[in-house]
Parts: sequence; C-alpha cells; structure tokens
Amino acid sequence: MIHTFKGGVHPNYMKAPEIPVSVITPPQQVVIPMAQHIGAPNKPLVAKGDYVKMGQKIGENPAPVSAPVHASVSGKVLAVEPRPHPLGDMIMSVVIENDFQDTPDFMEPLNAEQLKDPDAILARIRAAGVVGMGGAMFPTAFKIRGGIGKVDKLVINGAECEPYLNGDHLTMLNYPEQLLKGIELVRIASGVDKAYYGIEVNKKDAIDLLNSLHPEKYGIEIVPEAVKYPQGAEKMQVYAVTGRQVKPGGLPSGVGANVVSTRTCYAVYQACYEGRPVIERIVTVAGSALAKPVNGLTRVGTPFGYLAEQCGGFVKDPRKIVLGGPMMGICATSFDAPTIKGTAGVLFFTEEEDRHVDEPQCIRCGKCITVCPMKLEPVFMYMYYSKGDFENMEKYHITDCFECGSCSFNCPARMPLTHAFKTAKLMFQAKAAKEKAAAEAAAAKEASK
Amino acid sequence: MSEKKERIVLDVAYQPQVRTNIDTRRLMLTVILSLLPAVIWSVIQFGFHSLVVMLSSMASAVFFEWGYRKLMHKTASIDDCSAALTGLLLALTLPPTAPWWLPVIGTFFAIVVVKQLYGGIGKNFLNPALAGRAFLLASYALILGTYAVPRALSGVVDGVTMATPLSYLYGEGTMPAYFSLKSMFLGTIPGAMGEVSTLLLVIGGLYLILRKVISWRIPVSFLGTVALLTLIFGHAGMNRFDWMLYNLLSGGLVLAAFFMATDYATSPVTLNGQLLYGFGCGVITVLIRYFGGYPEGSTYAVLIMNLCAWAIDKGFHRHQFGVTEEDIEAEKAAKKAAKEAAK
Repeated sequence: MIHTFKGGVHPNYMKAPEIPVSVITPPQQVVIPMAQHIGAPNKPLVAKGDYVKMGQKIGENPAPVSAPVHASVSGKVLAVEPRPHPLGDMIMSVVIENDFQDTPDFMEPLNAEQLKDPDAILARIRAAGVVGMGGAMFPTAFKIRGGIGKVDKLVINGAECEPYLNGDHLTMLNYPEQLLKGIELVRIASGVDKAYYGIEVNKKDAIDLLNSLHPEKYGIEIVPEAVKYPQGAEKMQVYAVTGRQVKPGGLPSGVGANVVSTRTCYAVYQACYEGRPVIERIVTVAGSALAKPVNGLTRVGTPFGYLAEQCGGFVKDPRKIVLGGPMMGICATSFDAPTIKGTAGVLFFTEEEDRHVDEPQCIRCGKCITVCPMKLEPVFMYMYYSKGDFENMEKYHITDCFECGSCSFNCPARMPLTHAFKTAKLMFQAKAAKEKAAAEAAAAKEASK
Repeated sequence: MSEKKERIVLDVAYQPQVRTNIDTRRLMLTVILSLLPAVIWSVIQFGFHSLVVMLSSMASAVFFEWGYRKLMHKTASIDDCSAALTGLLLALTLPPTAPWWLPVIGTFFAIVVVKQLYGGIGKNFLNPALAGRAFLLASYALILGTYAVPRALSGVVDGVTMATPLSYLYGEGTMPAYFSLKSMFLGTIPGAMGEVSTLLLVIGGLYLILRKVISWRIPVSFLGTVALLTLIFGHAGMNRFDWMLYNLLSGGLVLAAFFMATDYATSPVTLNGQLLYGFGCGVITVLIRYFGGYPEGSTYAVLIMNLCAWAIDKGFHRHQFGVTEEDIEAEKAAKKAAKEAAK
C-alpha cells in the first residue's frame, strides 16, 4: 500500500540520481560559520594562527539547544571574523587555510555496550554536532531527548520530495547498511521498538535494496509513499505513515511522533561507529546555469562560487543561488557564502527558471485551495493580507501555513502567495511581541502602585 | 571567475523558486481549444456566417479589453487571452442568424461594463459572456429567438428558420420526429451556435476536467440536479426518462454547465461550495423551465448563482489540517454545554 496525504503538487522533479557521487576537492580556504543550527550560536574555540585538525571541535555553546561545529579540513586558522552566511547576514566564522593533509582528529568510535545505551548515543550525537540535515538544522540530540517517553512512533524521512535533490537517495544506495544502523541508533536513543522509514516510490531501487537487507533486524519498517510534494514535510510525513494529524500550532511529538531525516541518521551512524563529526555531506549542485548537475560530496564551509567552478563552471550567468530544493529553498546573496550542514543542494538558476510576473492578477481559480496540504484557503488569506485584516487572517489560519510553496507553485497567475504568508506570520509575531510588552508594562505599572 | 562574479547581480526571492508552466494564458487557451470541436460543428451545420460572427465577437472583445486598459492607463491584459475566450463564449450562445455587429454590442457590455469596470480579470462578479447574452436578450429578443435550419435538416423542413426542441418541450405541439434523442445528442438540431452538439461539448468538458482546468464538481452537481428534478417531476404525456434526457440535451444547459458555471472569477473556490453552487444552478434552471415565461433557464440560473458565489465561499470555510472529526465534535459538544449552562 502506498501512503500519502491530501493535496500537494507535482513539480518537474529534475532529479539525477544516476549521476554517481563525486568528491568535491576542498577549497584553499574553508569558512565555517558558528551558527549552523537553530538555537544558541557557538563561541569560537580557536584563534587566528592556531593549527586545527580535520574533525577538531572549533566552536561550542553549552546551551541545551545548540550543536558544536568542527573543522572540515586541517590547516591554519586564518581569521575568526564575521563572514557572509548562506542564510544572509554576516555571522562569526572560522576561516581555515587548507593544508590538504586532512590530518584527522576524530572521536573514538562507541564500543558495543555504548551502542546500546541511549545516553551514550545522545551524548555522541551532540558531540558530533548532528543537526536536522533535511534543512531545518534543529539540534538532533535535543529533539530526540525531548521526545523520550512521549514519542511512540519514530518516523524516518526518506521522501526527498524536493526537486533536484539526490543526496538522500544516493545515501540509501551507497551506504544502505550504515544507514539502517544509523536509524537503529536513533531508534534506541528515542526509546522506541520500531522506526518507520517513509520513502517515495520514485526511489524503488533504494526501497528494494533496503528491504533486501532485512530492515526488521534493526527494528525498521520501510513505508512506500506516493511521489508528491511536500511528502517530506514533517506533518505530511507523520500523517502518511501513522495516520495521526499534528495539531494546529503543535509539534509532531504532540501526537507521539518524531521525524528524523535520512542524512541525519547517516550522520548519527558516522558519529557513533566511526567517531566522525558532521563535516561533509552530499550536495546536489544543479540549475540551468550549469552544463549538468553534480552530486558532490562536499565539505562544510565550501564557498558557492568555488563549488560552481568545481562543478564545471557556468555556461550561463546565474540569476539566483538557491539553497536546498527550489520549493522551500531560500536565495543566497553572496558567492562567498559557504555550504553548511543543512545545505542539501545549491542550485544556480538563470531566467530560464524564472516565472516572475510584474503585476500578477488573481483569477480566483482556486487551484491554491486544492493543493494546500494544510487544507488552508490561500486565495482568501492573500486577500485579507492585502487589506491588512488581521482578524480575518487569523480566522483563515494564516499562521498554520508552513510555507511549503505549493500554492504559489500551482498559481497560474503567479501570485506571491507564500511570500505574503511568510510576511504575515512575521507581522503576527511582531504584534504578539508588542502586545506582550504592553501587558508587561501595564503589569509593572500596576505593581509599582 | 572573480571578475565575472563581480558583474553578476544576484536576485533574491521568496520560495518557491520554481513554478508550474501552466499560467493564466495557457488555461484560457486550453478552454478555447476544448471549444474547437463545437466551433467546427457550428460552421459545418450553419455555414460560414457563424464563423464570421464568432470572429467578430472575439475580435471586438479583445479590442474593448485593449482599449479600456489603454484609455485608463492600466497594464495591458489581452495577452492572458481571457477576453478572446469571453468573446467566443458569447458568440456560442447566439443564434447562427445573428448579424455580425450583434456580438460587438454584447462584448462591449461584457468586457467594459461587467469585467473592466470592476477591475478586470478575477474581479468581476458576473460571468461576462452570460451577462452580455442577457443584455442582448433584453435588447434584441427577436434576433435571439430566431434559429436557422441546420444543414442536417435542410430538405426535411421548409424555410430557413425553425423552432428549437426546447420550445416544443415546454410549449405547444408535439415534438416532431426529427428531434430524436440521438439527433439532439449529436447536434443535428437548430439552436445557438455552440449549444447544439451535446456530444462535442461533453468531450470538450471532459478534456478540461482531465487537464484539471476545471473541477468536476460544478458540472456534475449542476447536470445531476437538473436530471434528478426533471426525473422526479416529469411531464404529462411523456416517459419520465425521455423527459429527463430531453431536458439535459436541449438548450444551452451543457454549454452552461461545463463552460459558463465553471468560470473562475464568478464561481465558488471552496470545494463543498462548488457542489452547492452547481446544485443551485440546477434548481433555478428547472424552476425557470417549469414556471418561467421563457423556455431557456441556464443563462439566468448561472447569473443568479454568480451573485451567491461569495456568500457560499464564506459559508464553506473549512477546518485546517490537524483538526480531526473528534476535535470538531468536541468543540460542538463544548458549545452546547456552554449554552445549557447559560440557560
């Protein structure tokens, strides 16, 4: 039986898993931002002039919601200063001059006993800097720990529903056994008996391969899923696999589920069995500015301009650099910004992918309503947004939008729907903060009387 | 490389960075394409003049759209092909004997008064083509009541004009033998240019549903309601099923159900709302046919329901993902309890 959800779209998938993984030569200089996760940014542990080894911890923050960062090459620290971050802004980064020796400084692999101990596994996940590598970059150890006792359904996300991206698919094909072991570790750490691995059926070769390795031995069940965007969104994934609906405004753990991505599980395997921290990942480099797509094993900290050169250079001038998949990916503003742990893809788009319209006119076709996976009504949300009508925006659940982009994708009139909802959500946040501040001020005044 | 990098100015945009290649223009062209079989059939049955009327209608609609936007210093919009489609749809509701200038008057009302004065595409609240037809019906009733003999019946009936099946259905006299169910399904009958062949219209409509240009909800609930009501109420001296089929096959009902009632701007967008809207169209069509002073009901049925579309959408606002049946039940129970407590 094929599992799925209601709504969604079928973009042109543009995937090229038949292109084997190539190793991207690390650059002369890597730039490692101190913030590669959601939560407290790291403080640099090294200074200019220090020598660092590959895998050495170079940034840390003791706050619970955080994940350390590690040097992805060995060499001398050239600078510790703010540099362009892929998500915009200048962020404190460690710049390392590569000595091309790759002198390793990995942790000891966990022993057989530790591999069965949830606390040891979680400590290692944290030490290795593992974050949600599907793109959300939420610290994995914190996520799993928060679910212990609450979560009875562990869902592993192998949908890879974003167009262009192949990293998860290739991980399944190239490292199936390691991947299953990684999932087993996450399952043990979560304290559950079984993990459900949802994979879209366009990766049939991977499903067959994983099934042939007896996933039940590891307490894993492979769940085939329909090929549809956003199948890999957390809420859709939980619904497809367990039939449970995450409550509006809630988290999957609210209905006893936790979702961990494929590449994260592989990173957990590397951390526990090999002692390797997160310093590289498969990055799909594609888009019409390049001659052909590349699935490159890329070190964290590789600048986009360098990456493009390594992938054959531009055949056309790019107009946009898109990070991750094109449906939810945001644009980078600099060729000098580096790849980070959550960068599953770097897409160089030209005007060929552009469908911008200067003065779009909604034709009220309702195609946004039929595709919304959250069962929202984007056509009305946009109307109330345009009017600044907060009451009705709330009534039409604008804050439940998780910006998957399906409505905008499907809009024949090219209305900037997702853009509007993102802005509206920020407006709601600002409004809530303002109201909270006003209430606190009033309370303080009351108290001082 | 570094020099090149300097030269390139990067765009930033919110997600998604890719979009479907189906845009407004392509949707409109798909609808025009789906009407082509009916257009060709009309030329075969009623001659070259019907093509002249259709072209005059499309050309004048595009001209008024262009002229109004130009005069008012608004962005040009004829590229989206919606005006051309309105022109074609209006022509298809006119009899083949209509003079070439008639649709020019109709499209002026449709494009300028109904569509552009309210802000253009997507903003109008009445179907422009049907409103144009209603305007012409009030102004040139005689022309719109005269129907040419189709090629298939030339030689069978005398003269150049004849009564339509619908006028027999609800009027005096018995249905002539040449108005068989088969002839009405295939379209060898007199009528408006685009409404005679149910077969070709259904093919066009199914094509639109398959291409996801329109949803099945409105046509199915519209036609289903008409079928059900005529089956229940029947007609003296006629087999119930024959009566139902004659009703479905006559007049502009099928054209209205697939191509008029499904107009984006003037029909509901909520899924259950579309079902109610189609039901309303069906009920009003049957009421007009049974009790109205004029045999064709679908034009006014759709126009009346156009006015309700907005209210219907408001009423069918749906719960978002995550609100389960149990949650809705619990909420209802809580409300009830609160009411009880208040008493």
